Amino acid sequence: MKDTFSSYHPVVNFVYFVAVILFSMFFLHPVFLGISLVCGTAYSLYLNGRRAARFNLLYMLPLFLIFAVMNPVFNHAGATILVYVNDNPITLESIAYGFAAAAMFVSVMIWFSCYNAVMTSDKFIYLFGRVIPALSLVLSMVLRLVPRLKAQIHVISNAQKCIGRDVSNGNVIQRAKNGLKILSILTTWALENAIETADSMKSRGYGLKGRTSFSNYRFDKRDGLGMAALLVLIAVVLLGAVLGENNMVYFPALYAKPFSALGLIVYAGYAGLCLMPLILNLWEDAKWARLLSKI
Amino acid sequence: MGSFVIENLTFSYPQQSRRALGGLSMTVEEGEFVAVCGRSGCGKSTLLRHLKTVLTPHGTREGVILYNGRPLEEVDQRTQASEIGYVLQNPDNQIVTDKVWHELAFGLESLGCDKETIRLRVAEMASFFGIQDWFMRDVAELSGGQKQLLNLASVMAMQPGVLILDEPTSQLDPIAASEFLETVKKINRELGTTILISEHRLDEIFPAADRVAVLDQGRLLCYDPPAEVGRILKEAGHDMFCAMPAPLQIYAGVESPLPCPLTVRDGRKWLDKLFEGKEVRTAAASPSPPASAEKPAAVEMTDVWFKYEKNAPDVIRDLNLTVVQGEWMAIVGGNGTGKTTTLNLMSRLSRPYRGKVKLNGRDIAKYTDAELFRNNLGVLPQNPQALFVKKTVELDLMEMFSGVKMTAEEKWEKAHEMARLTEIENLLPMHPYDLSGGEQQRAALAKVLLLEPKILLLDEPTKGIDGYFKRTLAGILRKLQAGGATIVMVSHDIEFCAQYADTCAMFFNGGVVSSGPTRSFFAGNSFYTTAANRMARHLFPGAVTNEEVITLCRSNR
Repeated sequence: MKDTFSSYHPVVNFVYFVAVILFSMFFLHPVFLGISLVCGTAYSLYLNGRRAARFNLLYMLPLFLIFAVMNPVFNHAGATILVYVNDNPITLESIAYGFAAAAMFVSVMIWFSCYNAVMTSDKFIYLFGRVIPALSLVLSMVLRLVPRLKAQIHVISNAQKCIGRDVSNGNVIQRAKNGLKILSILTTWALENAIETADSMKSRGYGLKGRTSFSNYRFDKRDGLGMAALLVLIAVVLLGAVLGENNMVYFPALYAKPFSALGLIVYAGYAGLCLMPLILNLWEDAKWARLLSKI
Repeated sequence: MGSFVIENLTFSYPQQSRRALGGLSMTVEEGEFVAVCGRSGCGKSTLLRHLKTVLTPHGTREGVILYNGRPLEEVDQRTQASEIGYVLQNPDNQIVTDKVWHELAFGLESLGCDKETIRLRVAEMASFFGIQDWFMRDVAELSGGQKQLLNLASVMAMQPGVLILDEPTSQLDPIAASEFLETVKKINRELGTTILISEHRLDEIFPAADRVAVLDQGRLLCYDPPAEVGRILKEAGHDMFCAMPAPLQIYAGVESPLPCPLTVRDGRKWLDKLFEGKEVRTAAASPSPPASAEKPAAVEMTDVWFKYEKNAPDVIRDLNLTVVQGEWMAIVGGNGTGKTTTLNLMSRLSRPYRGKVKLNGRDIAKYTDAELFRNNLGVLPQNPQALFVKKTVELDLMEMFSGVKMTAEEKWEKAHEMARLTEIENLLPMHPYDLSGGEQQRAALAKVLLLEPKILLLDEPTKGIDGYFKRTLAGILRKLQAGGATIVMVSHDIEFCAQYADTCAMFFNGGVVSSGPTRSFFAGNSFYTTAANRMARHLFPGAVTNEEVITLCRSNR
């Protein structure tokens, strides 16, 4: 795997993303928003390469602009009126807020795309399996069933097409009828075949008391260090939140706390948090380079 | 650790007068390799399912089953779950979870093993079965053979003393099947696990088995070493004999004082001894049917290229293939060589990006759906279950007439005529899913045939079907052919192709590498050919089927 952060224990990954996504959602200070947006974009590019670049340019950038423009058009609150359009005031505050909300929304989306790449189904199942053991098996079975049903729909649809009864055959009513028939065949098939799955589960002792849950993950020293660093950074950011460094007032007039040394520390903490995966990756790369140069 | 004593076991399913098992007694020693064979519906699965309490079907039952000297019912579930391993028929249905590693751990999780134990056992099994390369993968990405191997491994992870396998290879292609059976033999040989296996593919199991149990209508016909079983069945004139390995059948057809061969290698030695110092005449047993080149082509493919996606590799490369009207053509070849894709091209499920497919001289792209699938092209899918919609077979057949203007009597008449032709008349009131594999196949065939196709495309029609049903199927197809139908069949079943098809085409790397009339086709191959031909080719190079070899042996004595 290319990404070092993904190889950390699922708990570390999960806590990280919960923190970053919640912070991006609630802290609307421009510096915070900027950090989150830039770091999130950088990490998504690192994880998904060209696909992420296309996603960001094609969907996120237009979304950002639409959000930023829509707010001042519909929201007329704020004290500093810049211009009247059709008797509606366009205010500086609502433009500023529009940009802030757009940045918030887009950065949360981008962080979620990173979350998807890092938190595979395995990790998710593992985490929630610890909280509710039965759930982890159910999730795993669902993830097994969905691709199977998809494949089977394809098989049935092909078979029906060859007797002229697929959703692509006939007029609208016939198509609908054929579609329902395919679903009905699929249901029968799924229920019939589930009997054998149940047999296979029973035969391997499912239902005995004291079921355990196996996983490939181990919380090692590296995970402990990562977690500690993560918690320190989160504490710094939360401290900033308590002291009011992380937010600013948009309405009725723009107001942010004046620049201070404490604010700088909090910004640095937040930047550290958002950059953590990339820093870990760079560090790992440097370590490799060092190891190679020693040979 | 694992022996069974079955005494006088009788069983019948609820509301059925016929007994599924009648007074069956047998002993399975520890570490023994026992093969259970018999026609579909003879009670093989019912018997095997009685050897594990959770899988035992409901019904009335008498007799005793002792496991390691104790009645099976008294052995607690935990012990049974871990000590008696059970592998079922369908590779897909048995897999519960989405990841290979999780599936391997599933049984051990149920038993409540701690993480360290599971880690060790899973690692052991993955190494033993060579799974480590796909250990972290999604189950959905595996091939059928890999899936079944995973099922076996996840059962073996619980370290059972007995392994019961119920037709484990019926859904696999021959190469995956023999790989799977090799692994089963290895388990028996290297771990000393007792094996009970029911199989249609006796060629590979027979030489490895210590004893073979033959069931017939719920009764134990014989339970002896393989060579002995061959002799008994031959003397009884039992129709299970046609499922025996080729060397055994040929041996039985020729009088000789020598011991019975079980493998092709032994068969060759046996033939050598038999004809030592004799002059051998190799006159062709019967002439090949005359080439029907004058007849017009039913399917014609010229310079066809196909790939699934723009950037994907070509699946079909420069394919040229002609199927003459009224011909039965078999397409053979390994996995992933484009056989099924070719059928899809013929039925327009896929379209080539270069080249032309013509049906009866007309471009397939120009047909409308109605023209193509009514009175023209019939396709029998590999999985017949994809066709069934109704509660009974009869309703399912009648359903094919929906939208057709015909009186109810005419419909009924036609459906029943088709049921007669495909020999499913006695199955009409049953639910399609309650039929056996071979019966489902024929019911699906009946449905397709109601559209009165002139060209019939079959994908693996003999998959999971026993020898007896194969003969029935061949009989039906012969009748259709006599009625003027053209048949194109994709199959892994070399013996079936050799016996019934008119011409064969071998696929490799997306195209046809060789094709010709069946006899000369197989006689020209040295490896990809029937067991009978491999066994006797040094003496009778032209003989392809068991019967031909037997006739030649007799005429030379």
